[in-house]
Amino acid sequence: TPHRATPSIPSRSLPARQPANVLEEARTRLHVSSVPESLPCREQEFQDIYSFVESKIVDGTGGCMYISGVPGTGKTATVHEVMRCLQHAADVDEIPPFHFIEINGMKMTDPHQAYVQILQKLTGQKATADHAAALLEKRFSNPAPRKETTVLLVDELDLLWTRKQNVMYNLFDWPTRRHARLVVLTIANTMDLPERIMINRVASRLGLTRMSFQPYSFKQLQQIIMSRLNKVKAFEEDALQLVSRKVAALSGDARRCLDICRRATEICEHSAAKPSATGLVGMSHVMEVLNEMFSSSYITAIKCASVQEQLFLRAVIAEFRRLGLEEATFQQVFVQHQALCRVEGLQPISVSEGLAVCQRLGACRLLLLEPSRLGVLQRVRLNVSQDDVLFALKAD
Amino acid sequence: MTKMLQHSGYEEERLQRVAELLPCREVQAGMLLSLMGQPQQCSYPSIFIYGHRASGKSHVMQVLLKELELPHATVSCVECVSVALLFEQVLLSFFGCDAASLLPRSPSLSDFVRIYRQHCSQTPAKQTRYIVMEKAELLRDTDANLLPALLRLQELVDDNVTIILLSEIVWDKFRPNTGCFEPLLLHFPDYSKGELQQILSQDKHPSYSAEFYSSYINILLGVFYSVCRDLRELRHLAALNFSKFCEPLAEGKVKETDTHKLWRNIEPHLKKAMQTVYLREVSSLQWEQLQQMEERECGALRGLSAHTHVELPYYSKFLLIAAYLASYNPARTDKRFFLKHHGKIRKTNFLKKNEKTSNHLLGPKPFPLDRLLAIFYSVVDSRVAPTASIFSQISSLVTLQLLTKVSHDDQLDAPKYKCAVSMDFICAISRTVNFEIIKYLYDFL
Repeated sequence: TPHRATPSIPSRSLPARQPANVLEEARTRLHVSSVPESLPCREQEFQDIYSFVESKIVDGTGGCMYISGVPGTGKTATVHEVMRCLQHAADVDEIPPFHFIEINGMKMTDPHQAYVQILQKLTGQKATADHAAALLEKRFSNPAPRKETTVLLVDELDLLWTRKQNVMYNLFDWPTRRHARLVVLTIANTMDLPERIMINRVASRLGLTRMSFQPYSFKQLQQIIMSRLNKVKAFEEDALQLVSRKVAALSGDARRCLDICRRATEICEHSAAKPSATGLVGMSHVMEVLNEMFSSSYITAIKCASVQEQLFLRAVIAEFRRLGLEEATFQQVFVQHQALCRVEGLQPISVSEGLAVCQRLGACRLLLLEPSRLGVLQRVRLNVSQDDVLFALKAD
Repeated sequence: MTKMLQHSGYEEERLQRVAELLPCREVQAGMLLSLMGQPQQCSYPSIFIYGHRASGKSHVMQVLLKELELPHATVSCVECVSVALLFEQVLLSFFGCDAASLLPRSPSLSDFVRIYRQHCSQTPAKQTRYIVMEKAELLRDTDANLLPALLRLQELVDDNVTIILLSEIVWDKFRPNTGCFEPLLLHFPDYSKGELQQILSQDKHPSYSAEFYSSYINILLGVFYSVCRDLRELRHLAALNFSKFCEPLAEGKVKETDTHKLWRNIEPHLKKAMQTVYLREVSSLQWEQLQQMEERECGALRGLSAHTHVELPYYSKFLLIAAYLASYNPARTDKRFFLKHHGKIRKTNFLKKNEKTSNHLLGPKPFPLDRLLAIFYSVVDSRVAPTASIFSQISSLVTLQLLTKVSHDDQLDAPKYKCAVSMDFICAISRTVNFEIIKYLYDFL
């Protein structure tokens, strides 16, 4: 193999198919990976980050920014968008040129790998973690002529946590050096991460430039889908509103919203054979998807369990009621189970069959069990609420 | 007498030989044979065989696999302290040493599966391969993924392979919490008295008739069957005591057919054997030597457990006595035993309810070091300085396992101990220092 081979995957033998009909077209447009040119509903955040980074680049100073928000609120996409615009501005010489590198805490095996990756992306050198840290330290603390500003994006910051927090400390300390010219943008999910896990000297270096991304409201979600679809007429208005209202009520996750829409187009395609179908995604399709995605599988699992398994769950609840606790040993539950068998007119099962029933329910996580080597003394707890169990057992 | 094993996949004579080697296990062997099917047929992925000790689990498997010349690997999980050894043994017996040498230094399950697949694609199985795991209960203590993976190894390696797990523990205590592929369960029941008699009668002495040996086994089982049904143990006892049984015959006192006299001769001897050889008080070699020596009575030799006399320094003895008193007396009675002017305290209304049961039944209680020293100073007559030697004697009593430390190791200021010696032992110790321990024990008041 060549010394520095470029990693690649084998290319397709046939080119990917172009979308044939409206629904397929909509599906490609709604795919999570196809990030649009401009992000709707994030103009304010875009502007804030843009002006922050731009001012640092123009002044030739450094700084840190902490960006937080629940998953699916467009943090990473917005930062990438900002960098693309800034790169464009640098290309037309509106601002001085700069260097953009990106690391992701989840892509590292060890927090100290951050040094190695930063060094490699900056200079192309390979080094061990300690050596890379020393080289970076030297690079950021010594003055050098014609030094470009470096913008460093750190995604999933919480995974860079170490016991001594030296990785985080260095990341936030380097921008404060006079000659560093480093801008660090950090992204994490929780708003109070600096207060919760960072020691004071790290949190103070992170500074107070914080930004939090609020979850999308239903209007914003609707706008996002509309802008994605971009005049492709595949959805009924009401259907879109239902999706966005449901998602906004639960999490405000744009990715979830897109996934639901894509699944709805698939279901619509399947049912297109029916004469009543209009070819548009309607309310019924969306309802079906929402049931698929948000309903709990536990209740279905209990409904589909065997007779003895259902009986065992009833025995568990009966025993909890008797004890007034949320925990019982297997032998206590088994006594109830035998009694229930007799009431139901079934042949009482043996202890080892009872254990098999119990452990099968434990393997589906309907019950929480202790290790099976404890035998009849293992303690049993319910992993679902008693009401759910009763509802599932009563529904038939 | 023996039912013939029948299976279309194997030769008649071989099955007959197997049947001869497996007395009283025809049902189980037949069941296994029908599960295994013909050699080229695909077998069930995993079979779990359980039964008591010495119920013939390994024996049946070994005989079947050896006599029918099936490719197999026998792995004892006791020997395989790491999974690497287990994988190595399996690969070694299936594919030879070049496969086993391919394993990396600390192989993971996926390494094993990869190498297995690689080799079995080179030499595809013409016959079902069998992996027999003895003492399979130890598999539960290895990596959590090993047992579930072994149970569906057939699927993983895509080869005609069957895992046979042998254990004394029921399957219910094996099942991983995340669920797994359920093996076929096969129970080996205990041998009945008649079956034991039949099996034991097989290894008869060449110079005596079969009926004579059989009557000997009958007497032996009459004595031992109520306490021991372990075939191996019984066989060992039968071999040990047979020479004594034949003694009157060799002297010409009785005839072979005179069972009652033979029984009268051997029965007390066997009863003595139960108390000595069976409990390993006297080793088998010593027992045989004893039988040779006519003049000495059997059991006159002191067994292992009689050697409880330990030489201890003077103060160590008192420390041990103090520890025993601290362990078995409630703390609130100390005042009454060891203080001169304690006032009148009656036993009945003085104690809590749980202290009324005998402390000797409940076992020793932990006590702090201060209490041990306080009792020690009050039972020792002379003045003893709390020198380093006293404290080092306490810690050496701990290393001798006469005391046990119950508190955590790094607790230096107030360690807690328990006394770990028996009543007889402490009585013997206190007799040597002329201390009447019974007078100070609350239970014997």
